[in-house]
Amino acid sequence: MDSLIDVADCLRRWKLGDESAAEELIRHLHPVISRIVRTNLPRRDHEDDVIQEILMKTFSRLHQYKGDAPLSHWVSRLALTTCLDRLRAQKIRPEVRWADLTPDEAQVFETAWLGSKTTDATAAIHARDLVDKLLSTLSPMDRSLILQADLEGRSLEEISDCTGWGISKIKMRLFRVRAQLRKAMLKLEEKK
Amino acid sequence: MNHPDRDDKKWRTLLELAAPTFAGATELPYGFVTSTMARVKAERAEREMTDRIGLRALFAALAVLAMAGGISFAVQLHDRLDFDPGTKSIIQEDHVSIS
Repeated sequence: MDSLIDVADCLRRWKLGDESAAEELIRHLHPVISRIVRTNLPRRDHEDDVIQEILMKTFSRLHQYKGDAPLSHWVSRLALTTCLDRLRAQKIRPEVRWADLTPDEAQVFETAWLGSKTTDATAAIHARDLVDKLLSTLSPMDRSLILQADLEGRSLEEISDCTGWGISKIKMRLFRVRAQLRKAMLKLEEKK
Repeated sequence: MNHPDRDDKKWRTLLELAAPTFAGATELPYGFVTSTMARVKAERAEREMTDRIGLRALFAALAVLAMAGGISFAVQLHDRLDFDPGTKSIIQEDHVSIS
């Protein structure tokens, strides 16, 4: 990713006060940050504001970047931490009730167990809102963990690199999170 | 009744359905670079000003410290040259009793 632009040159120019270097860095880092924000925060959160906040943090802490890992990796960690901090500030729902679902979300839930897969953009948004509601019952770290495993398809080793946790701890935690999600979906069905 | 496999399948189907909404933006929103640059520039200017003010404050503090040191050194020197540095007031000098 960093090979698309000369990051080292941009950083050097930025330190010398060249603003065009900052613009290049913003354009370069935006897709990376955007993907992390969209994955880790609910859809309705103010995405652009969060991305801007992460970019501001990036520029104010650039002097701490040693260059031993690609800049995009360093910024990814910063972005993930910011997202988790935001999630920590939000309240965790005790449960999702059937009455909490919109008719569209309820329909998506009904058809999902048949394994129906459509490419409809509207259905994707309803499914996302439903996924966000189910994820809102999890702690920020559990939420990040299940998305890394099930959505991004990361291996246990990759998750371990990212979280600093041991493989067995991750396995155990994923097992618990899946059980929690199953319970939440079961409750939804019961209370239809 | 609990159906772990069925619920797991449901969860995965929901995730697959929602997958496009998790993908990162491919294009920058209109005006995003300009507004971010404005914030970056403002923050940089603010930081530079804070640094400058900080340096000035440091120099001022050093100057005050040097002055205080100078004064205390001068007083000490004066005391050493004095005949009886312990006697400071006329009352003490003339052994006037205070009732």
